[in-house]
Amino acid sequence: MDGTTGAVASQEINVDMNSRPWLLKFVYGGGVLFDLTKWFILSLAILVIINSLFFSIFIVNGVSMSPTFKDGDWIFWSKSTYNNALPQRGDIITLSYPGDPVNKTYVKRIIGLPGETLEIKDEHVFINGTRLTEDYLNYDVDTDPEGVWKLSTDQYFVMGDNRPNSNDSRFFGPVEKRFIRGKAISRLLPMFQLVKDM
Amino acid sequence: MPKSSRRKHPIVNFYWRKLTFFAFFFAVLGLGYAGAQTFSADTNKYMPPTDAADLTISLKITADGSVIADGQKLKNRVDTTGQSDELILPILDNTGVGYSSVHTLMTLPADVVKTSTYDIKGIHGVDTLSVTAVSDNVIDYYASGVGPDATLSVIINMPQGTIEPPLLYRLYAIASKIKVSAWYIAAFALPIMTLIFMIGFIMLETRQQHVDIPKKETDSPPMALPPAIAGVLYHQDVGPREIAATLIDLAQRGDIYILDKERDFAFLKNKLDQRLLSYEKILLSKIFKTNVLSNKGEIEQRINNHLYSQKISLVASGIYVLATRLGYFKVNPQHIHRKYTIIGMGAFFVGLVSFLLSMTIFTNPPYILFFWAGMMISGLIITVTARDIPNRTAIGQQVLSNWLAFRKYLSNPEKIPFSYESQELFQKFLPYAIALDCEVAWAKRFSEQDFVLPKWYVSDALSPGLQDFCLSLFPIVSYVARSLASLKEPGFD
Repeated sequence: MDGTTGAVASQEINVDMNSRPWLLKFVYGGGVLFDLTKWFILSLAILVIINSLFFSIFIVNGVSMSPTFKDGDWIFWSKSTYNNALPQRGDIITLSYPGDPVNKTYVKRIIGLPGETLEIKDEHVFINGTRLTEDYLNYDVDTDPEGVWKLSTDQYFVMGDNRPNSNDSRFFGPVEKRFIRGKAISRLLPMFQLVKDM
Repeated sequence: MPKSSRRKHPIVNFYWRKLTFFAFFFAVLGLGYAGAQTFSADTNKYMPPTDAADLTISLKITADGSVIADGQKLKNRVDTTGQSDELILPILDNTGVGYSSVHTLMTLPADVVKTSTYDIKGIHGVDTLSVTAVSDNVIDYYASGVGPDATLSVIINMPQGTIEPPLLYRLYAIASKIKVSAWYIAAFALPIMTLIFMIGFIMLETRQQHVDIPKKETDSPPMALPPAIAGVLYHQDVGPREIAATLIDLAQRGDIYILDKERDFAFLKNKLDQRLLSYEKILLSKIFKTNVLSNKGEIEQRINNHLYSQKISLVASGIYVLATRLGYFKVNPQHIHRKYTIIGMGAFFVGLVSFLLSMTIFTNPPYILFFWAGMMISGLIITVTARDIPNRTAIGQQVLSNWLAFRKYLSNPEKIPFSYESQELFQKFLPYAIALDCEVAWAKRFSEQDFVLPKWYVSDALSPGLQDFCLSLFPIVSYVARSLASLKEPGFD
């Protein structure tokens, strides 16, 4: 073994970092970043994808959905539920405000469906002339102002459960499906509860 | 309970410097993101005059879809990705100032008022709203009693094709119209295709560079080579095993001693050997610096104080250079690793930058993110699989075949009969057994012999047997070698 060892012992190895060409320095710098962060970045990217396309958390700001959701409640909601299904009456949804869809997201309840005629009269909601039973409202809550809305084939009428304190379709009109972003599944905080059990 | 079973060497160390690096990196990233968000929110936002009760805003939409309010270009643009060319513009939003009336006079780029639909929306304190067409290309959006918290938005839907956006926006529109299923398929197909390509390439190269698996074993190394060179010929990579084999080989040659204590270990430098190879000298200098004795704490300190070690990179370089000069590899394996690392890193970072840009540019839902994540995974696949691309020359293949015959001997399950010579045989070939992944099988061949402790191994245990020796030595060497191997600089591994 010594013979071979001796034959190759004279090899020289460049030990000076400064003598490395710029490309190798670049590889080193990029490699350090890549090596230290690749799994973290990939995990983060997967979380971002899940958050952007499938599930997310919405923090309620305001009292428009009280008593179902209160100010500061954390809602877990699905962004993909309506990819292959249509929203149903009573669903609690998150929607982009049609006047500022990029910056304003609301949580409301679907009251009227496409093609229906919705009327607010005598402090109640009527769908195609039939009074709608709304168990989720407090018994003393009245619905105002009066009006009639005829929904087109792609429009939904949404309202908050706290009718006197909600900015909703009564004021900004029915919303198209493209503004509906997802369906609330459960409250996470302050106490976990599935929406269907509320 | 054997003493060795109590030994616990951490597999993963806590690297303070790496932690600091991460903390700094993500602090910069977080601050940068927060700054960008603030900048993006504050810039190009219409700021109305605050000294008038009646406000008239002149809004102009240009032919390329830009929006100009009172001479100021806004960040909002006409969206051309849908069925119509649409602008939804929150012109006043929580300004803190109330107005008796607000007229927004919107001038369109063409006479399309009659074929367009338009609307005005106001919430949080607006009395009345109305919209009227002033001419074929001008619309008056009117609101009265606009409160300080109000959000007032103007909306126009022009016929598709009214706006001719710049190329980038046209590409954006095309990408937005691609079906969701197409993004899913592309996202899964890209890494799978990369993996299939890399595996296919490796299989093809392996077939072309066929290494004969010897039928017969040989009971001695086919040639006098440092164990690390045999290891790199076998693995095509300098890893923990090559470093561990070098350490045992150095001990074997009398250059170092390994001291095994109850809860500690140490390396002791014996003499200055002029016959040491360059990479061996560098490895020793990493372990000992200028000391003669280096205990566990000192070694750990030297390891943990660095994110990466240039010395360990040089150890790897030395081994690769030697093996290449001996004619075993067509190209220095380090260069191959580097080439594919650059390709993989490139794909990863292009994917990452595109991912971040898509998050910013694309409105909901940004399914294109799948594609960029797929590209990032493809980058990782390239860097991981590239190490297995065969790179041996015909000489390398032949020499490896000879070494495999020796490996067959080392891992033969038959016990070696006792003889005076065989007592030293175990330690003599132990570095090669480590380099060739068969040290446990090699040790088992001596399980029925009286064990003679090597001179270079000093233990405080009373006459340890072969099993105790292996259970004590292997974790020490493995721990040090793995820790050192993890310090190789990226791009120099």
